[in-house]
Amino acid sequence: MRKVWLAALLLVAMLGGCASGPKFETVASSITPVPSGQARIYFYRSGTLGAAIQPEIRLNDSVVGKAEPNGVFFVDRPPGNMEVVTGSEVDRKLTFTIGAGETRYVKLGVGLGVLVWRIIPELVDEPKAKSEIADLAFVTTK
Amino acid sequence: MLVAATERAQERVRMGSSSMIVCRRSAALILAFGLFTACASEVVRHPVTLRSDASAERPRIELAQTVTVESSSGFTRELAGGSVWGFHGSIPQGSVYKRVGGIFTIEGAHFHEAFLVISGNRLVGFYLPVERAFSPSEPITLILK
Repeated sequence: MRKVWLAALLLVAMLGGCASGPKFETVASSITPVPSGQARIYFYRSGTLGAAIQPEIRLNDSVVGKAEPNGVFFVDRPPGNMEVVTGSEVDRKLTFTIGAGETRYVKLGVGLGVLVWRIIPELVDEPKAKSEIADLAFVTTK
Repeated sequence: MLVAATERAQERVRMGSSSMIVCRRSAALILAFGLFTACASEVVRHPVTLRSDASAERPRIELAQTVTVESSSGFTRELAGGSVWGFHGSIPQGSVYKRVGGIFTIEGAHFHEAFLVISGNRLVGFYLPVERAFSPSEPITLILK
């Protein structure tokens, strides 16, 4: 009986924090192109591992969203140097450059830290990213 | 009957203490693993100035075979055979080549986009465009097409 309760709690914890929104592949064709003079950066997190940990994602010191499990979102920014920081247990940074009209994909991976799961941002090639985000929930940002 | 009950109780205590030991060992292993993964060392960086007006001996290079390279942090990365890299400039350590049609990063405590630094036919390290720094690697000869 105790095991059943534990399993139920685990399931709720895993599913409760998932992103909600339309499946990305159903809205991909309606997404506007990258505005002139801007660059686009996608952020996505696939899977429910460590679902309770959903830190804010900061791009060049501005919060752009949260690391929601099974969610994907994008932001448009002026081209240049980018620094992505996820603020869970230990800050893990990702730095990269992006040019005007370009698109980059940042995968929010999950790693085991000292006490809790950590969210680790990593650049991913476009073909791999496109296949991984197809089934994720598209989250619109402010 | 009393003797049997006492033996059962003693057995439970023995099992309890052995599972405590297993628990402690598991916790120690998890903690050690967590500390290890949380304390990856940062990649070595030397500030450099990129000369983007430098002329290229080879405007583009294509790797003939996949090679594994080790960065200064100890993490390894694969440079895929068939991957194409375009000349991006030069630094004192060599010519800088950026991945064409893809991205390349190196890992330490953090992830950094990185370009190859090639001297002759040898990869000698990486140029980190955001940090404007050179990060040395174990020198390795690249087989180019």
